[in-house]
Amino acid sequence: MERNSNDVRGLLSRMPDNTAFKQQRLPAWRSHLTAWAVLPGFFTTGAFFLGMGILLILSAKSVKEIEITYTSMCSNCAKLRENASNFYKECTCSVPFFIPEKMPGNVYMYYKLHNFYQNLRRYTISRNNRQLLGEDITNVENCAPFQRDSNGIPIAPCGAIANSMFNDTILLSYYPHSSTRINVPLLSSGITWWTDKHIKFQNPRSNNLPSAFTGTTKPPYWRKPVYQLDPENPENNGFLNNDFIVWMRVAALPTFKKLYRRIHRTGPFANGLPAGNYSFDIAYNFPVTVFKGEKGVVLSTVTWSGGSNLFLGIAYLTTGAVMWLAAFSMTAVHLKMKKRNIVSES
Amino acid sequence: MSGIPLVRVPFRKQKKNEKERCLQANNKEFNEKFEYEHNAIKTAKYNFFTFLPLNLFEQFQRVANAYFLFLLLLQLIPQISSLVWYTTVIPLALVLSMTGVKDAIDDMFRHKNDKQVNNRPILVIVNGMVKEEKWLNIRVGDIIKLQNNSFVPADVLLLSSSEPYSLTYIETAELDGETNLKVKQALVVTSNLEDNLEKLSNFKGEVRCDPPNNKLDKFTGVLIHEGETYALDNEKILLRGCTIRNTDWCYGLVIYAGQDTKLMQNSGKTTFKRTSIDHLMNVLVIWIFVFLIGMCSFLTIGHGIWENQKGYFFQIYLPFEEEISSSALCIFLIFWSYVIILNTVVPISLYVSVEIIRLGNSFYINWDRKMFYIPKNTPAQARTTTLNEELGQIQYVFSDKTGTLTQNIMTFYKCSINGRLYGDIYSMTGQKVEITQDTEKVDFSYNNLADPKFSFYDKTLAEAVKKGNPMVHLFFLCLSLCHTVMSEEKVEGELVYQAQSPDEEALVTAARNFGFVFHSRTSETITVMEMGVTKVYDLLAILDFNNVRKRMSVIVKTPEGKVILFCKGADTIIWELLHSSCKPLQDITMEHLDDFAGDGLRTLAVAYRELDEESFQKWIQKHHRASTAVEDREEKLGLIYEEIEKDMMLIGATAIEDKLQDGVPETIVTLMKANIIIWVLTGDKQETAVSIGYSCNMLTDDMDDMFVIDAKESSMVLKQLRSARRVMKPDSFLRTDPVTKLISQSEKKNFILPEEVPNGSYGLIIDGHSLAYALEEDMELELLRTACMCKSVICCRVTPLQKAQMVELVKKYKNMVTLAIGDGANDISMIKAAHIGVGISGQEGMQAVLASDFSFAQFRFLQRLLLVHGRWSYIRMCKFLCYFFYKNFAFTLVHFWYAFFSGFSAETVFDEWFIAFYNLFYTSLPVLALSLFDQDVNDLWSLRFPELYYPGQNNLYFNKKEFVKYLIYAIYTSFVLFFIPFGTTYNSVRSNGKDFSDYQSFTLIIQTSLLVVVTVQVGLETTYWTAVNQFFIWGSLAMYFSIMFLLYSDGLFLLFPQTFQFMGTARNTFILPQVWLIIALTVAICLLPLIVLRFLKMDLLPTQTNKILAKIRECMKNPVPPPARTKLRRTSSRRSAYAFAHQHGFGALITSGKNMKSR
Repeated sequence: MERNSNDVRGLLSRMPDNTAFKQQRLPAWRSHLTAWAVLPGFFTTGAFFLGMGILLILSAKSVKEIEITYTSMCSNCAKLRENASNFYKECTCSVPFFIPEKMPGNVYMYYKLHNFYQNLRRYTISRNNRQLLGEDITNVENCAPFQRDSNGIPIAPCGAIANSMFNDTILLSYYPHSSTRINVPLLSSGITWWTDKHIKFQNPRSNNLPSAFTGTTKPPYWRKPVYQLDPENPENNGFLNNDFIVWMRVAALPTFKKLYRRIHRTGPFANGLPAGNYSFDIAYNFPVTVFKGEKGVVLSTVTWSGGSNLFLGIAYLTTGAVMWLAAFSMTAVHLKMKKRNIVSES
Repeated sequence: MSGIPLVRVPFRKQKKNEKERCLQANNKEFNEKFEYEHNAIKTAKYNFFTFLPLNLFEQFQRVANAYFLFLLLLQLIPQISSLVWYTTVIPLALVLSMTGVKDAIDDMFRHKNDKQVNNRPILVIVNGMVKEEKWLNIRVGDIIKLQNNSFVPADVLLLSSSEPYSLTYIETAELDGETNLKVKQALVVTSNLEDNLEKLSNFKGEVRCDPPNNKLDKFTGVLIHEGETYALDNEKILLRGCTIRNTDWCYGLVIYAGQDTKLMQNSGKTTFKRTSIDHLMNVLVIWIFVFLIGMCSFLTIGHGIWENQKGYFFQIYLPFEEEISSSALCIFLIFWSYVIILNTVVPISLYVSVEIIRLGNSFYINWDRKMFYIPKNTPAQARTTTLNEELGQIQYVFSDKTGTLTQNIMTFYKCSINGRLYGDIYSMTGQKVEITQDTEKVDFSYNNLADPKFSFYDKTLAEAVKKGNPMVHLFFLCLSLCHTVMSEEKVEGELVYQAQSPDEEALVTAARNFGFVFHSRTSETITVMEMGVTKVYDLLAILDFNNVRKRMSVIVKTPEGKVILFCKGADTIIWELLHSSCKPLQDITMEHLDDFAGDGLRTLAVAYRELDEESFQKWIQKHHRASTAVEDREEKLGLIYEEIEKDMMLIGATAIEDKLQDGVPETIVTLMKANIIIWVLTGDKQETAVSIGYSCNMLTDDMDDMFVIDAKESSMVLKQLRSARRVMKPDSFLRTDPVTKLISQSEKKNFILPEEVPNGSYGLIIDGHSLAYALEEDMELELLRTACMCKSVICCRVTPLQKAQMVELVKKYKNMVTLAIGDGANDISMIKAAHIGVGISGQEGMQAVLASDFSFAQFRFLQRLLLVHGRWSYIRMCKFLCYFFYKNFAFTLVHFWYAFFSGFSAETVFDEWFIAFYNLFYTSLPVLALSLFDQDVNDLWSLRFPELYYPGQNNLYFNKKEFVKYLIYAIYTSFVLFFIPFGTTYNSVRSNGKDFSDYQSFTLIIQTSLLVVVTVQVGLETTYWTAVNQFFIWGSLAMYFSIMFLLYSDGLFLLFPQTFQFMGTARNTFILPQVWLIIALTVAICLLPLIVLRFLKMDLLPTQTNKILAKIRECMKNPVPPPARTKLRRTSSRRSAYAFAHQHGFGALITSGKNMKSR
């Protein structure tokens, strides 16, 4: 008996295994585009897109935003900056403006640059994260063309990104009456990513920040060394300076805005910015007209979906509408063809 | 077992041209001067040390690999390196190592195979002793001893053998596919050596002969022995690959060894077959290169303009690099930077993925139980793993007949004796009953010499024999006497017949089972056991068979003293020779013969004539005179034979079934329904080929006409071909006919012959002689036009070379995918010539299998191979390629859009790690699962609806048009992928007020959207969601997100801050609702038009395939109906004819007594 079964096994020794995998009989769910799957799917997703579009548009519309481009308004300062020899000359410029409606809640202040290419290949790689980590302050690898000054002293922070840091100072003043002027309190904290502030950027370990940077020099376009960026708040200096961190997170597109300050909600501004007359007092340091760029300031509130950009809402609304249109026409075609098929079959 | 590899060594050193081969037996020093090839064969390519350098060298010869090496070198130049080196090194290393491993495994198998063949044992005479050696140690000039049933290891000159007159029987199945025995005979001078070892080792004969060549049937040379010169011809040569049969031992002198043997010379160059998709892919890759260069040039110009207008002024923040002197150089470098960035349009993993998919689909063929042949324990085998998808595109099948369509087994199936038909069985009610496996067989236990393998179902015949019906006895007596079969009684009571043709064997075996046992013969007698009584008949004459006579007769003297002539032959011939009194019987028998022919049986008529002693004596003298005539002996003998073969009395007729393999007619019908055109190319004769054509439904009676091209000269062949075409398509002779115009106008040899539609259905039969003329250059188009208009084409009596020429002809002018299927060595050339060669395995000869790309045991598996495996492979490959190009274009082209906003500075839009991993990890598995598991319908349905095969034949799923469609779709996708995130992040902020449009977040949003879009896209292409598909699709997404979080984690950043710059991006971006809204929106916008188009196309412009698929889905809702078996009825009224082997019989040999052992 046993021998017999052995024989059978020997005779069929090369028989393939009868497994679902080898016989291509794996259990499976078959999918294909049936009317029953496609049409209801289109109607429901279309409805979702339409609804979401309306919601997004409404929320974007609720955002109050004011944008002021000051390059042309401060044309004399702009002219001054075109000449590099005026590097250390101060130039201030005041830009008055009017807020027609109250800006409720949190208000954010941004600076906006046009035509500034933070995304050029050579620009984006011109930095050294190891230096910025404070580990090796003289490591200027990859920082070309701003690695060392003419004396060969390593630059800290090195690289084209750091060197080109936006260095205008903008102050906001509120005029409740034509004669009174209140400086709107601005916060420079909370404008960076937590991960940047706490991991990516570290000052060199030392009790005294200036001594930590000995052996390095400031970037050529900077007026002050990195450890003196914020004279008011000693914590906000070195690589941990908030404005510096914000700048170092390069923008994807040549027109961008970066968060500059938050409005401190105290006193008259506890509920946001009231309507009325305001002015920006700008220390104009950053040359942009050389490369046909423009600078601006933006004040904006936010909602859950971000800022005042309507794009996403409109895109959703359009897509939803197109989906419904498609769904209706597909239904019509399908019903018609079905009828014809039935007729032709009978 | 008989695995002799046919692959020629690619790196073989070319030897100096040999003019003449000269060798001396037993003289090593003399023979070594010539440096003849040794008998070792080497097919393996590498050894342990050469593997790495050689393999790498070979791999970098591939354009794609070389291209990536070039890219890698570019990336090492810092000025243009827009991507870090690992984005190219990781994929390239993976690709190279995977291919390397596969090559190594392949080569290991070749080593094993070589070793096995080279180490077979053989007996060689060394210093007067017989010594066992390995095959590889045989040298030219050695004398070797061959034993019964052993393989001949080299081409040897037969010296002597155990049989009288030094005859040696061999089987040449491995060489030419013929299983019948052939006789070789040694020279008298050498046969005297016998098995005397002393004489043999002192034999100093010198042989001068042709240099090694590939002509199997030609050998000219001389043997110079003791000053005398003897001519040598093919009759004295045993070739490598033959098997010794019925000969206890023989000795031979090795003349050609190893690669010089005719078998190896004949194996031809193994050309590397590539599929049409391979060719298309190469064309497309060139297109893509051009596209790439175009894009890079465009972007370079863009960069030039940008530098001029903006970059120049932006220098205060980003001065030009010191080393780069001019902006022209800078612009030139940007070109190469973009070449590096956009290189992913030519995906490096494409070729490797294609190979993996083909390998996987080949394994399915090996694993298919429905292509496993139980009786022979033979599974199907994909021997070439790179041709799978072409199985789904076959348009022409060239099939051998013997052993492929038929089993090459003849069985005695029916007979008509004295006007009564035997063989059909009837039920109690008088209804004819179909014979199945369960039908009760006739019990032959009364006859202890019966062959147990023989089966017959009609009991009435056995009863008639037992009752002693004289005509029935006469019938079987005739069958047991009138033949040239040789018998052998190895064990007492166990007779083994050796016949030249299987037909004869079948008839003699039938007689044996019914009690008329042919026992033995001498040159003068035939011993027959008639119903247990031994009788000896004196054999007076054998009137042998030839093609003109189409009959054979024997004249015997019975023990009772009567002289009787027994004759069997083609019915049409016999009818002329019958006595007039047979007329009524003739008419009835005629009806029976029609009946047999209708069943596709091979028929013979059987007759006898009693002779009186006197007239016979007169005749035999004439016969003797004629047989010693020097001139025109054949003709004279023929006339003498006719004198005595007349006024014969009809006994009856036999019907032999040339057994088709199981399921052959059904398979052919199915394949024809799938629009596959089947041409049968056979070495067999016309009648047999035609009768098989009818029985397997290639030829039917409802065909409008059947043309036979059998002319003997060129002009007549042309005339016959033209007249056939005139009947089928008279218009084609008009000057205005588009095809005629095309042919007359085109000077070039390579144009494609368009399809022509005849006015009906026709068959074409063409024989080898005519084919020789028709295949000549001036007539081949004529042949092809005529042949292609016919529904079936049968070529008979063709040589192996002609088989290959036919295939080449179709390949040359038709641009269609061809498949050749055969079992014998005579099919090798055609198997190699066709796009796909299929070998029938499980038979004796293995040569065809070894040369083939796919092999299985039964012809009927062909439909499964093509309609199921081929179709699936094709669809899977097409889906894979479409998707693969799509995903890479969508991926790469985003860079193009970004260039407009990044100053054409070759900035990437993705994280470099994403670029490195995109093809390898993130998107490879789902499409791999798709191309290994997808099935639009299961195997039963694709066999049930052969029409589903059309799209593959017409190459509808992947062609240039489809490629362009997917290219456009990919451009659209990349556009959406870039501009939706662009529009959303532009001037936008996060909900916590922080800015949103930083480069790293932007990058992450785009790459995540891209990944989701392409993953959903692969889901859309998947129609068969197995657990693996689900796992891979969801797993890929999960893997993407987890790798993202890993690469963007604090730990990696702190270790390598320059390499993992994106730290924190994932955490800070994926928490935003906008990001998910963007992803949802891009997916919707990307897929919306595709789904709408597909849906509308299915409703408005459904293809034939769509309709069938819809029908199948309708059916699937209900329980699956049993597959409808195509009912086949052979309605033929055709008559097959005498079916002997197309050679002379052994008649002359028997009467001369040469092959009888002296007793």
